[in-house]
Amino acid sequence: MTMRLSNQMLSRNTLSDLTRVSNDLYRTQRKMSSGKEITKPSDDPFGTTRAVTGRRDIEEILQLQKNVDDALSWQGVTEVALSRITDVAQRARELLVQGASDSNGTAERAAIAKEIDQLIETAKTEANGSYAGRYIFAGTATTTRPYTVGGADAYAGDAGNIVRTIGPGVSLPVNARGADFLGGDPAVAQPDGLLLTTLRDIATHLRGGTAADANALRGTDLQNLDRNLDNITSIRATVGATTNRLETAAKRLLELHESASNNLSKVEDADMAKTLTDFSLQQAVYQSALKTGANIVQNSLLDFLR
Amino acid sequence: MTQISTFFGLQQSLRGLLAHQRAMDVTGHNITNANTQGYSRQEAVMAAATPYEIEAGLLVDGGGAMLGGGVDIQAFRRIRDGFLDLQFRAQSMSLGGYDATTSALQQVEEGLSEPGENGIAAQLDKYWSAWSAVANNPENLATRQNLVEQGRILAGSIKDLDARLSTISSQVTAEYASLTGANGDVKSMADEIAKLNQAIKFAVADGDQPNDLYDRRDVLLDKLSSLAQVSVTDLGNGAISVNFGDAATPLVNDGTVTWPQALTAPGGRLGALLQLTAPVTATPPGTIESYRVDLNAFAKKLADDVNALHNPGGTGTNFFTYGAAGTEAASLAVNVTATGVRYATGTATGSNDIAIALAKLRGAGADQQYQSLVARIGSDVKNSERLQSNAEVLTGAIDDRRSSTSGVSMDEEMTNLIRFQRGYQASARAMSTIDEMLDVLINRAGRVGL
Repeated sequence: MTMRLSNQMLSRNTLSDLTRVSNDLYRTQRKMSSGKEITKPSDDPFGTTRAVTGRRDIEEILQLQKNVDDALSWQGVTEVALSRITDVAQRARELLVQGASDSNGTAERAAIAKEIDQLIETAKTEANGSYAGRYIFAGTATTTRPYTVGGADAYAGDAGNIVRTIGPGVSLPVNARGADFLGGDPAVAQPDGLLLTTLRDIATHLRGGTAADANALRGTDLQNLDRNLDNITSIRATVGATTNRLETAAKRLLELHESASNNLSKVEDADMAKTLTDFSLQQAVYQSALKTGANIVQNSLLDFLR
Repeated sequence: MTQISTFFGLQQSLRGLLAHQRAMDVTGHNITNANTQGYSRQEAVMAAATPYEIEAGLLVDGGGAMLGGGVDIQAFRRIRDGFLDLQFRAQSMSLGGYDATTSALQQVEEGLSEPGENGIAAQLDKYWSAWSAVANNPENLATRQNLVEQGRILAGSIKDLDARLSTISSQVTAEYASLTGANGDVKSMADEIAKLNQAIKFAVADGDQPNDLYDRRDVLLDKLSSLAQVSVTDLGNGAISVNFGDAATPLVNDGTVTWPQALTAPGGRLGALLQLTAPVTATPPGTIESYRVDLNAFAKKLADDVNALHNPGGTGTNFFTYGAAGTEAASLAVNVTATGVRYATGTATGSNDIAIALAKLRGAGADQQYQSLVARIGSDVKNSERLQSNAEVLTGAIDDRRSSTSGVSMDEEMTNLIRFQRGYQASARAMSTIDEMLDVLINRAGRVGL
């Protein structure tokens, strides 16, 4: 037996169908206007978790990129200062070779010694180099000038490392300490044989004027200076390696950023082609529901009786 | 010896006229009430009238007979299936519950504003980044100032969410109170049912069938059933007794209303409202309260994790402070100023070990706890919406079946109208035929030769 249809039932069903279809339409419209597949957690609870994680990943990568940029600038400033100090050491070596020759008289040697004194001050000035208001060769005592230009050769910084985080859980020291190449660290027995004491020795020997001084200039001083040059070169090599590592990290972070953005977009963003197709389909359904609804609700036997 | 009256046929036709007129009245009543909520269509039950007895020995063969006396309206029947009412009320109760739960949970969900730029997750991201910025620039007071600001914003967002949960909870409590209060819906519906009980009882005692009063009472029972579980006992005299939820005494018994009463698990809308605001120690734990417990646990975890690194050994200053257990989220606050931020274990201006360790907390325990709270609320809302739409479909299906039995169909009423009109016309025709016959008998018979 067929079901008996009452008028209230027809209009109620027509209305509830229309409500359902227009709800679908509204949801699709919201997807289109926001461009998002997920606008609230209940749209997709698991997807929401992934979207939150995705946003966190992106934020972390952006911050790591800032960290790496900061570390790279630090390395750049360090490299420039170290290269100038290398120039100083090389100039000192030229002067030493020149001064060691016995063809020089006391006056010439004294003049050379004076230039060596100047070089010592230049080296200390370079070692006082700073980046964004921070002394780069002072360890973690970044607000303390590591050397006193025109004063004693004592190192005023500390032995700390400046650490930057460049990847999830990856940190590395980005600083070189003045105490490691210029010397003068109060914690180490003096003379420590590093650049400043070596240059001071050379100046002393140039001024000494005895045969022993001349021998020292040709022998131990030259050896010591060469050793210091090697030392600075090896520190520069470390800085270069760190720079390489940072550049690699920067590239990797760029790739990570791209893939993290892609992942987030996959979870969160609406598929426009699909959404538009859904929309026109739902619109068609809505219109035909309206049309049939209007006909069903209007027509009854009443229309045909006189 | 019995004679059959000459005017017997007139009486018979009159009955036909009257019966069809009544039937048309009922049809008209149905048509006018086609859109009345809860109206059950009625039907005039026609039956052949008590026949006229012709005594034995009167007929040719010596037997008696019964001569039909026309038609009578026996009753105005109300077409209703009580079993469908029971089913409808059970479904309406679930729907009422899911409606209440869904609308409260949707409000909770809106309060999260996740996923997005303004949610707590985004504030957490920025907070950890602020620590990273301090690690990059420990000498700079501005970065620490920014960190403290970011910490305040984060604590504020957590506090706001807790306050929102608390507001929703009090709104739900207020709704329950207004529904169940001395002037609330339950009381007014119960009063009306009690009054209808009296009216119906008197009508039934008089032998009437008060169809429309029954309908009105059934509508009230339908409405009541969306609030809580309703069970109805027929008292036999037309009045009913209504048990409401798990109240100890019947809400309505004949003409007596017992309200307010204590409810613990009444089902329906009231049950859902109670469940939403129940304490977390109840079984099952109250929904909103359990979110607050999770939020408190998250706030505590965040503060404890940060403090453990910011203030190792507990002798220095904590970054975050919070109040007593159960109020962690509401009382979360930043305890340090920019100059008081501790970013390194040593005193060297450039060291940043604490800041680095704190920046590493990104994505750790606290973040995870918040994320799982968001996922939990999301699936609760989704689940509740699904149950709500299921209940809507089921309630609709049962309402359809009920409407199929009791609802007014215009096509049917129109057909009936024509049927009864024709019946009336035919009875009238029968009457005028008899009239003509009598005219011949009275006015023309015996006038031979006049």
